[in-house]
Amino acid sequence: MALTLIFTLEEEVYGLEIDAIQEIIEEPALHYVPRAEGVLTGAINFHGQVLAVIDLPTLLGFPGRERDHRQVVLTPEFKSLVLTVSNIQRIVKLDLTTLQPPPENTQGRAIRGVAELDEMMVKLLDTDEIINQLENQYGE
Amino acid sequence: MRIEISYKFIIGFLIVVVSGVVVNLVVPHLQIPPEFQQFFSVTCALVVGLIFGSIFSRAFTANIRRLTSAGDQISQGDLSEDIQLKESRFPDETSDLANAMNHIQKSLRNLVGDIRGISFKVAGSAQNLSGTSQEVSASAQEVARTVDQISKGAETQAEMVEESNRLFKEVAISINLVAKAAKNVAESAHQTVETAKSGSEMASVSLGSIRQVLAEAESSSQQMYNFIGQLQRISKFVEVINGVAQKTNLLALNATIEAARAGEYGRGFAVVAEEIRKLADSSTISANEITDLVEGIRAEGQQVQSSMGQVIEEMESSREAVDRTNQAFSAITQKAVGTQTKANSIAELSVQQISSAEQITRAIDEIDKVVSDNAAATEQVSAATQEQSAAMEELAQSALHLSNLSETMLQIVKQFKLAEEDQD
Repeated sequence: MALTLIFTLEEEVYGLEIDAIQEIIEEPALHYVPRAEGVLTGAINFHGQVLAVIDLPTLLGFPGRERDHRQVVLTPEFKSLVLTVSNIQRIVKLDLTTLQPPPENTQGRAIRGVAELDEMMVKLLDTDEIINQLENQYGE
Repeated sequence: MRIEISYKFIIGFLIVVVSGVVVNLVVPHLQIPPEFQQFFSVTCALVVGLIFGSIFSRAFTANIRRLTSAGDQISQGDLSEDIQLKESRFPDETSDLANAMNHIQKSLRNLVGDIRGISFKVAGSAQNLSGTSQEVSASAQEVARTVDQISKGAETQAEMVEESNRLFKEVAISINLVAKAAKNVAESAHQTVETAKSGSEMASVSLGSIRQVLAEAESSSQQMYNFIGQLQRISKFVEVINGVAQKTNLLALNATIEAARAGEYGRGFAVVAEEIRKLADSSTISANEITDLVEGIRAEGQQVQSSMGQVIEEMESSREAVDRTNQAFSAITQKAVGTQTKANSIAELSVQQISSAEQITRAIDEIDKVVSDNAAATEQVSAATQEQSAAMEELAQSALHLSNLSETMLQIVKQFKLAEEDQD
């Protein structure tokens, strides 16, 4: 059983294990970053640290949608990235034993697998994969 | 030497006597036989007596004859010649008679001349008179014609006066009708004024009611506005509650994350965090429900407000309509008052006109009388003219008669023969 933060994008439900989450913050002042493009939308000041802000919906292929006013700060293990998400729901216990491989069309989109929760299909995000993709894209 | 006839006779007688005596004395001395002496003396005395007698008588009768013939001439009207007796050395009473007859003849001549002259003058005057009388007669006829025309004119005048009278009576009737109509109009105008006033009062009452309703509606609208303002304040509170709930939710999420990181020690804390999250969620739900409710109330309130606005607008237009109605009533009242005043003045004027018309009728009656009098006077004039004409006729006839008389007189006077230079 793993505690997972779930949020929705359109009809899809995504899950993010809270082990990777440092803190959920509310409406930080977004600073403009030169040459920022694509999923990198800017930077914020978090307790004196400057953290890069990544737009997760864009990364997941849902650009131009609603965003939650809250953002998720990942643990230093995951480069302390700040993820802009949509519609944060709540923290649930997800039975990872029921995790099934992601469907074909979501391959390579940072989905670790799909778990079932109260007749919902929760797509569990693969944080490592996300970091990898970002490092591939921005070389850092 | 004047010797009277008696003396002449005496002288003649004496001469005869003397001659007898002389013859008696002479005869003895003559050679005449004495037997013839007596005879001779008587014969001589007879001869002398005859001669002297004849001479005397002849001289005497000649003058008498002349005088007689002169008397005859005078009696025949011949006054042309004076009586001339034979020149005598011894004029006597015959020459006195001749002188007297000459005087008479002269007087007669003068008298006849005067009579003739006067007759001429009388004839001329009579002719003049006749002419004048004819002129006067002609003038009188002219006057009669004129009078006739005047009479006809007077008749026409009388007819016209009658017509005028009739027309004026009709005018008076018309004026009466006008006066009645004006009175009716004034009455109608008065009723209109009353009606308009009551209408105006009703409109004022309606206006008052509308204003009251309008004021109430406006105050209701204001209340609704205030109510909506209150709702907005509730919404703000709800937002605050929502914000608090979201913050609580966030705190709960972070607390859960922290509790998970604390592992076994954080388990109780995680439960508390979960409970807090649930409370925050139900707060959010309640706040959202409140928001929905408030939103619904606000929408309904706004609808009510807009309905109220429409009502107010309608009320406003009603008020304007009633206002206009009121104004219209005022205008009607004004107009009707004006109409009433005018109709009243028309009625008054009509009354004045009626009295004027009556005066005119009276004046026309007077004129009628005058015209009648004129006609009568004209008839009198006509009669007088006729009388005058008749008188003139008589006068003319008299003049003619006079002329005839003077002519006759002239004829008579012409029988007298005057001196050659006096004859015409």
